[in-house]
Amino acid sequence: MTMDSGVILHGLNITYELATLSLTTLGLAVVFGLLGVMNMAHGEFVMIGSYAVVAVQQLGWPVATAMPVALTICGLLGWVVERWLIRPLYARPFDTLLATWALAMLLRKLVEAIWGKGYRNIEIALPAPVNFLGTPYPAYRLMLIFLAMLILVFLYFWYRKSSAGLRVRAMTTNPVLAEALGIDTKKLASQAFVIGMSLAGASGVLLSPLIRIEPGIGVDYLLDAFFVLVVGGLGTLAGFTGGVSVIGGSQALVSSIAGQTSGYAVVLIISIIFLWLKPDGIFSRR
Amino acid sequence: MDRRHFLNTTVATTALSVAPNIFAASPLKVAVMIPQSGPAGLFGPSAKACAELAASEINSRGGILGRKVELLFGDAGLAPAEASQAALKLWKSGGAEAVIGMHDSAVRGALVGVFKGQVPYFYTPVYEGGECANGTYVAGETPQQQLEPVIPWITAERKLKKWYLIGNDYIWGRNTNAAGKNYILKTGAQVVGDEYLPFSVDNFDASVARIRDSGADAVLVSLVGGASVGFNKAFASFGLSEKVLRLGTLIEENTLAGIGIGNAKNLYSSSGYFANITTPAAKAFAQSYSKKFGPQAPMLNGLGQSTYEGFLMLEAIARKAGSLSVAKMDAAREGVNYNSPRGAVTIKSRHVEQDVYVADVDANGFRVVKTFSRVGSGQTCKA
Repeated sequence: MTMDSGVILHGLNITYELATLSLTTLGLAVVFGLLGVMNMAHGEFVMIGSYAVVAVQQLGWPVATAMPVALTICGLLGWVVERWLIRPLYARPFDTLLATWALAMLLRKLVEAIWGKGYRNIEIALPAPVNFLGTPYPAYRLMLIFLAMLILVFLYFWYRKSSAGLRVRAMTTNPVLAEALGIDTKKLASQAFVIGMSLAGASGVLLSPLIRIEPGIGVDYLLDAFFVLVVGGLGTLAGFTGGVSVIGGSQALVSSIAGQTSGYAVVLIISIIFLWLKPDGIFSRR
Repeated sequence: MDRRHFLNTTVATTALSVAPNIFAASPLKVAVMIPQSGPAGLFGPSAKACAELAASEINSRGGILGRKVELLFGDAGLAPAEASQAALKLWKSGGAEAVIGMHDSAVRGALVGVFKGQVPYFYTPVYEGGECANGTYVAGETPQQQLEPVIPWITAERKLKKWYLIGNDYIWGRNTNAAGKNYILKTGAQVVGDEYLPFSVDNFDASVARIRDSGADAVLVSLVGGASVGFNKAFASFGLSEKVLRLGTLIEENTLAGIGIGNAKNLYSSSGYFANITTPAAKAFAQSYSKKFGPQAPMLNGLGQSTYEGFLMLEAIARKAGSLSVAKMDAAREGVNYNSPRGAVTIKSRHVEQDVYVADVDANGFRVVKTFSRVGSGQTCKA
C-alpha cells in the first residue's frame, strides 16, 4: 500500500465522519437554532429512523419504503411533541430539557417493548467497495457523503434566498417584532420542529446499514450533536459547519494518528475549552 | 364443561394436591444474579428463562437434596456496589442458600467480597480466568479453553501467517488477547498489531484502516457487544471480510444478529455453547426451552444458557457433598461430573473441563465446524 492511498483513505474517512455528523446533527441544530430548544430526545428520532428500516424488513416491504415511513412517523411525532410538550414550555429551557429527556426514555422503552433490547441488523447487500482515486472505498459511504453535501447546500440556499428562510430569520432575530409584522411564529416553530425531527429520522434510515441498531443508540448521537453545538454556537449555518468540522475532524484525525482514546479525549477537551472561553461558539453573533 | 375438560381439570387439581408431598423439606431458595438493566441487559431475558427451565427440570427430578428449588432474581446490571447490595439482600433477608451469577467480573469481585465463602456461588459466563475464592465455582469458558486448541487448528486449516489483535480496553479483552498472542506465536505465525479501545468508541474506521495496512490475514476480535457489532459491520463494509478471517470468543447469537449474516463472511466464533449445536443433549435442551417459552422465547445464546449450567453444577456438587455447606461442597467438588447441553463436563480446580465448539456463519446463522472434546480451563486454584 502506497503512502498516497493511505492519505486518501484517511481523508475519505474524515470526510465520511463529517458527513454523517452533519446528517445526525442537522435536525438538532435546526431546532436549537430556530427555537432555542435543546431537544434531549433528538438521538431517539435517529434511532426510530433505523427501526423504521427494521420494521419495513419484518413486514416484507421493499427497503425503499423505509424512508417515507420514517419521515411520516418522525414528522407526526415531531408535530405532536412540539404542540403538546415543547410549546407549553417555551422560554423555560430547563423544563424543556427535563421534559425532552423524559420523552427520550419513553421512546427508548417503547421501542424496547416492541423489538426487545437485542441488536438488530438490516439485511441488504451493500455494493462492493469501489475505487476512489486508487483507494477502494465503500460505495454506500461515498453516496452518503454526496447526499450530506447536497442537503447542506440546499439548506444554505433555502435559508438565505427563500422567503420562508427570511421569515425564519426574522423569527429568530426578534420573535416579538416578527409576530407584530404578521409572521405566524407558532406555525413556523411547529414546522421547524417537524423538519428537524424528520431530518433526524431520515439520517437514521440512511445510516442503518452501517451502524449498530439497538434501543439505546440515541444517546451516542445526542452527545456528538451536543459537542457540535457547543463549538458551533446556535443559529448559524457557518457555526454549524464549523462545529461539525472541528469536532468530527479532530476526532477522526487524532484517532487515526494516536488511537481512539486520544481522539475522544480531544473532543472533550475542545468542548470544555469552548464552554469556558467561547460559550457562544466560534461564529458567535454576540 | 365437556368431559375432556372436566378430566383435565380433575387431573390437574389432583396433581396440585399431590405435588407438595414430593418434597419433604423446606424449599431451597437460589438467588439468581443476572443483568436486568444496563448495557448487558439484553442478556437478562434469556438468562432468566434458562434459570426457570433449570429449576423446573431439577424439581421434576426431585429437587436438590430432596428440596424444591425456588428462584429469587436480583439485578446484576447495576454498579458493583449496588449489585452486591441486591445479592446481600437476597442472601440475608431473602434466605437464599446458593447464588448463581451471570454478570461482569467487576460485580463478581464485589460479590466474592460480600459472600466471603459463606454461601456457594456459581459464576457462569465467559470470563478472563483467575477466580479461586472459597465457595466459588466457575462454569464459564476461559480464554485458554476457547483459544488453545482453536488457534493452532484454524491457523493450519486456513494457512494463516499474520494476526491482528483488537479488544476492548479492560481485563477480559486484554487477557483474552494475551492468551491468544501466546498461542499464535507458538504456531509460527506473526502478530502484526494489537490495540485496545475504550467502551465509548463507536467509530472503528481508524482501526479498520490499520488492519488493512498491516496486511493481516486474521483478526482476533475481543470486543464486547455493541463494540463488536460496530467493528464487524465496518470491517465488512470495507470488503475486508472477503479475504481476512475473524475469530472471536464472545460473538454469540445476539451479537451475530447485530452484525448481520451478510457481514459475517469468514467470521468464526469459539464457545462452549451455540443454540445450533446438533448433539442429542443440546437438541433436547433447545426443544424443552422452546416448548416452555413458546415462539416469543428470548433467543438462546451462550451467556444466557450458562445460567442453566450453573444450576447443573450446583445440583451435581450438592449431590456428591450431601450438603449445601461451603466446606463440604469445596471438599467434594474436584472431579464431579455432569452431563449438560454443552456435553460431558468435569469440575477441575473450581473451573470446568468442557467441550469447545468452533462455528462459522452460513445463511441460517452459526454452523459448528469443529468440536474439541473436554478442553481444560487452564486455571489452577491452590485451595
